[in-house]
Amino acid sequence: MSERPSRALASAPSLGDSLARGWDEPDDGHELPPPEWGRPARSGRTATVWLFALIVLALTAGQALLAGRFTHEAFLAWATVFTAISLQALPFLVFGVALSAAITAFVPARFWQRVVPRRAALAVPVAGLSGAVLPGCECASVPVAGGLMRRGVAPAAALTFLLAAPAINPVVVVATVVAFPGQPEMALARFLASLAAAVGVGWLWAAFGRTDWLRPPRAGHGADATGWRAFVDAMRHDLMHAGGFLVVGGLVAAGVNVLVPRDWLAAVADTPVLSVLAMALLAVVLSICSEADAFIVVSFTEFSATAKLAFLVVGPMIDLKLIALQAGSFGWAFVRRFVPLTLALTLLFTFLIGGWLL
Amino acid sequence: MTRLAQGMVMVLLGAAALSVTVTSQTYLNYVREEFRPFLVAAGVVLVLLGAVTVVLDLRSAHGDDTDTHGHSHGHDHARAPAVAWLLLLPVAVIFVVAPPALGAYTAATADQAAVVESAAADEFDAEFPDDGPVEMKLREFVVRAWTDEERTMAGRDIRLAGFAMPNPEGEGWYLARLQIACCAADAIVNRVLIENQPEPPEDSWWTVTGRWVEPEGSLQEVRDHRFEVTEMTAVDNPPDPYE
Repeated sequence: MSERPSRALASAPSLGDSLARGWDEPDDGHELPPPEWGRPARSGRTATVWLFALIVLALTAGQALLAGRFTHEAFLAWATVFTAISLQALPFLVFGVALSAAITAFVPARFWQRVVPRRAALAVPVAGLSGAVLPGCECASVPVAGGLMRRGVAPAAALTFLLAAPAINPVVVVATVVAFPGQPEMALARFLASLAAAVGVGWLWAAFGRTDWLRPPRAGHGADATGWRAFVDAMRHDLMHAGGFLVVGGLVAAGVNVLVPRDWLAAVADTPVLSVLAMALLAVVLSICSEADAFIVVSFTEFSATAKLAFLVVGPMIDLKLIALQAGSFGWAFVRRFVPLTLALTLLFTFLIGGWLL
Repeated sequence: MTRLAQGMVMVLLGAAALSVTVTSQTYLNYVREEFRPFLVAAGVVLVLLGAVTVVLDLRSAHGDDTDTHGHSHGHDHARAPAVAWLLLLPVAVIFVVAPPALGAYTAATADQAAVVESAAADEFDAEFPDDGPVEMKLREFVVRAWTDEERTMAGRDIRLAGFAMPNPEGEGWYLARLQIACCAADAIVNRVLIENQPEPPEDSWWTVTGRWVEPEGSLQEVRDHRFEVTEMTAVDNPPDPYE
């Protein structure tokens, strides 16, 4: 995407873009240091360097003065879980943005035009099945989907890939088989329900989705820019746009993880529909990596198999961390439509496939 | 956020990832051991990417200004949203708070690890070594205690390691160990009840040697399996807090 079309898009008078722009171009008052109006760029850079010198100094001083001073148990547990979520997501995010940047910088747009069918109705299931080959969790799939769109892959197909990849890749399938020994039908049900939901969302998006709902992911250089410079720029752009939101998701998920007691869940375990919804909600708020969620859900012994399936199908597609990440990459106008649609279809296929197989 | 600031945030974030994996072992408090190479790689990539960004930006400030095209129009590709400053939060938490491993506070509310009968057979060796106490993970102990109808553990000296946590509902205390599949967010607890020793301080680490107290009735009916301690040694520095 060259400079010019992206500017034209940004000036299109749509709700989606005005919201998206709000996130993309924050009020300068929030910037540190403020780019003092009309001040030459050189002194802005000097101020930035000083600011980071101060930050490093503050970190060092904080480490020396405060080490071991934190004793509040709940706070420490929260800090540990927050750090754990952040660190655990970091390699996947870096791997994801590197892959996305490589798609942008090194794979010519022609390649995708040849590989991905032109008709969205066909491209969507192809994209869903190709999700089976990216062995990562959800943090990696968001930037990769952005990179695919940037390269001209239809948004509906890229979104199907985004939903399918973290749920049906071989690592996750094997983890599910291991976590449910003697119940291979659980992994099968998870695979089928996830793929069906992802393809369903893709088809609906292809039929009814509007381009201005989706803030197109942009990199620093146009589609023609390739090579290492474009790679570095695209990687930095994606990382900075997604990373901050990932931290937001991690903050909330860690808070829920530590503060919400698990006992209230037991109260709904016996009611058939409510228990499924409760497990879906739990998957959304806990934001556990899709490679680990099967090991968690197996410990909820009092819940029905369909309720556990809901946890496994909803979790990789919708969770707090992922919602924040998608908002950072594609804008809130997108999230507001995409997340409810995905939730509806994941629940639908959980009930259908769960009722059939489990 | 300017491009220069982005570069520096990336360097700091990468440095934080490297500080918990290379210059210390604290990453074990947060993620599984197998995760180390990925964290190191991510840290190196972040530091390099940040450094390249800083260098490119400073060079463009010195004249050969091919990159600052963004300043004149609405969407400046070189800038990042203000929310990206939050990437400094994990850095601050890692360096300043240095959160410890999860312990008794979490174990008291965490879900107990599920014990699936068919798993036990594949997971552990059927035979014990002939002499001396058998070292085992708490996970193995509780799985065997709940599922091994042969009761092969009965009468054997067994050595377990874990931290102490109080039993809010009665006699004794628990020796517990958290088990993680991926990171500390998914911790679940394995525990045994100890009644024949005075309760040590919460969260202190111990190696205990002793015997399984065989339950009289069905193995599955038991809420907690009991362990009769013959010898107990304090552990100063547990190598990996989770199993």
